[in-house]
Amino acid sequence: MIRYESVTKVYGNGKDAVTALDNVSLEIQAGEVVILLGPSGCGKTTTLRLTNRLETLTRGTITINGQDIMQVDAVKLRQKIGYVIQEIGLFPNKTIAENVAVVPKLLGWSEERIRERVDELLWMTNLDPRTYRDRYPAELSGGQQQRVGVARGLAADPNILLMDEPFGAIDPINREQIQDEFLRLQAKLKKTVVFVSHDIHEAIKMGDRIALFDKGRLIQYDTPEAILTQPKNKFVADFVGADRALKVLGLIRTGDIMNRSPKNLLRMTDQAQDVLKFMDSKKFHYGIVLNGGKPMGYVTNRTLKYEQGPIRDLVETYPCLVEEKRNLRDVLSMMLMYNLMTLCVVDDNGDFIGTVSYNDIQKAIKESYTDEAERNGEGE
Amino acid sequence: MSTLCFISENMERVLYLTWEHIWIVGSSLVIAMIIGIPLGVLITRHKNLAQRVLNTANVLMTIPSIALFGIMLPILAVMGFGLGKLPAVIALVLYSQLPIIRNTYTAILNVPPAVTDAGRGMGMNRWRLLREVEIPLAVPVILAGLRTAAVMNIGIAAIAAYIGAGGLGVLISQGISRTYEEMIIAGAVLVSLLAIIVDGAMALLERWVTPRGLQVQRRQNG
Repeated sequence: MIRYESVTKVYGNGKDAVTALDNVSLEIQAGEVVILLGPSGCGKTTTLRLTNRLETLTRGTITINGQDIMQVDAVKLRQKIGYVIQEIGLFPNKTIAENVAVVPKLLGWSEERIRERVDELLWMTNLDPRTYRDRYPAELSGGQQQRVGVARGLAADPNILLMDEPFGAIDPINREQIQDEFLRLQAKLKKTVVFVSHDIHEAIKMGDRIALFDKGRLIQYDTPEAILTQPKNKFVADFVGADRALKVLGLIRTGDIMNRSPKNLLRMTDQAQDVLKFMDSKKFHYGIVLNGGKPMGYVTNRTLKYEQGPIRDLVETYPCLVEEKRNLRDVLSMMLMYNLMTLCVVDDNGDFIGTVSYNDIQKAIKESYTDEAERNGEGE
Repeated sequence: MSTLCFISENMERVLYLTWEHIWIVGSSLVIAMIIGIPLGVLITRHKNLAQRVLNTANVLMTIPSIALFGIMLPILAVMGFGLGKLPAVIALVLYSQLPIIRNTYTAILNVPPAVTDAGRGMGMNRWRLLREVEIPLAVPVILAGLRTAAVMNIGIAAIAAYIGAGGLGVLISQGISRTYEEMIIAGAVLVSLLAIIVDGAMALLERWVTPRGLQVQRRQNG
């Protein structure tokens, strides 16, 4: 656990003094990813750098697991905290293996143990050590370099990881991928991560909690959902953007709201006229056709009207299927793209497990904002 | 042709003077390195000192070599070293300071801040960071400074013959006083040749000591 108490940082003195961080207090629970978010110059990076004493506190205290960091030797403190930065900062004169081994070497590990650890970390970050161990940073792509940066930060298995816009310099496609990889890794490792970002999307995606800063002050410290649905003031609302309803969708998984027992299921061998009668009686406009548990497509009243025989040949296939863990933002985008109000949800094997409709999504948004209204009501 | 004849007829003496020249330049370069590189590193840590040190080295550089020998003569004469190799070596050490200090200083400052920041953030102390990262990355530029100093000093050492330091300058100075054209040309050509060879050798050395990771980086960028 990291606790910041009335943390203040002032640069310069006298008339030239600039307050970078003004009386900030927050508590970061062990095993959580906390995003320090805000526009540039808001104090988020200063907060991070105060934590491993790359900057020196002006006032206030920072404690890690109850111990005041000012009571610990700065160099020793840093060796116990993983550090990953935006420009990556790999040592260009050292090989990938040597780069990852920096902190273990500082801690005096045996060569054997270092070698094993380096290989383990490279595997963990999706870099085959047999290929990359002896290469130099300049021989790797930006995304690969950043993976090495993460591996290096994790090298001595620190409990705390400080990350300063670690994925900021990577192109959007690779960034998504490396963020996903990091989340998978974090789910296993459960590190306490302090993560600086200026990107609200990244914050929502990566953070268990978000600390939103402005002009050296901590404005709101909350879960991503709460930041989106209950912005504390205009600054927060503006920062999260007018599309915050869409961003909330990014936090909800299809599996949470899907309809797991739709009634309008059909088989390939069903006869067109029987189906039409069935659908008319239930007032369905369309039916989903399954084949051995897998969704084949759909038929509508209109396509069946003048047809005879099995519906097999009349099925219109779905242009896309939704996995259970997809977020609603993606699902909504698919709906808009293919002009479909309902999509089929499938499990990892591609088997049909339910549907998700535009109405389900709308209901989900409404609910998350009703929660907000209720909670606001309690507060007053 | 007659210059070649002069050289071959006086081979032994020419070789001795060449050796003497190399000795003066070489020993002064080693001393200059021992002073200049640490000083260059030191002033990257103390910025207010940096301007003063660099200015001093700059001023030293502007003093004409003959004048510097003249200034040192009475000072060193007190200790009985007014003439000969010692004042020559001292002068060359002083002249070398600017390229060596300036290049060391710039090279260390040019190490990307992200690299030093990452190093410090991971818990490397200053000395370790310097030894493992900053110096290796700065080596090519530091060596370029040494190369400039070496080539420059080969020229200045020729003038030191006038204060009895020996070296190839002897051929030029004696040639002038005897109006012995072949001797002057032999001295001049040999000094130039020495400078060209040393320059080439240092260029090779520069490439050789550049860390492999940096060479890779340059190939990628080039």
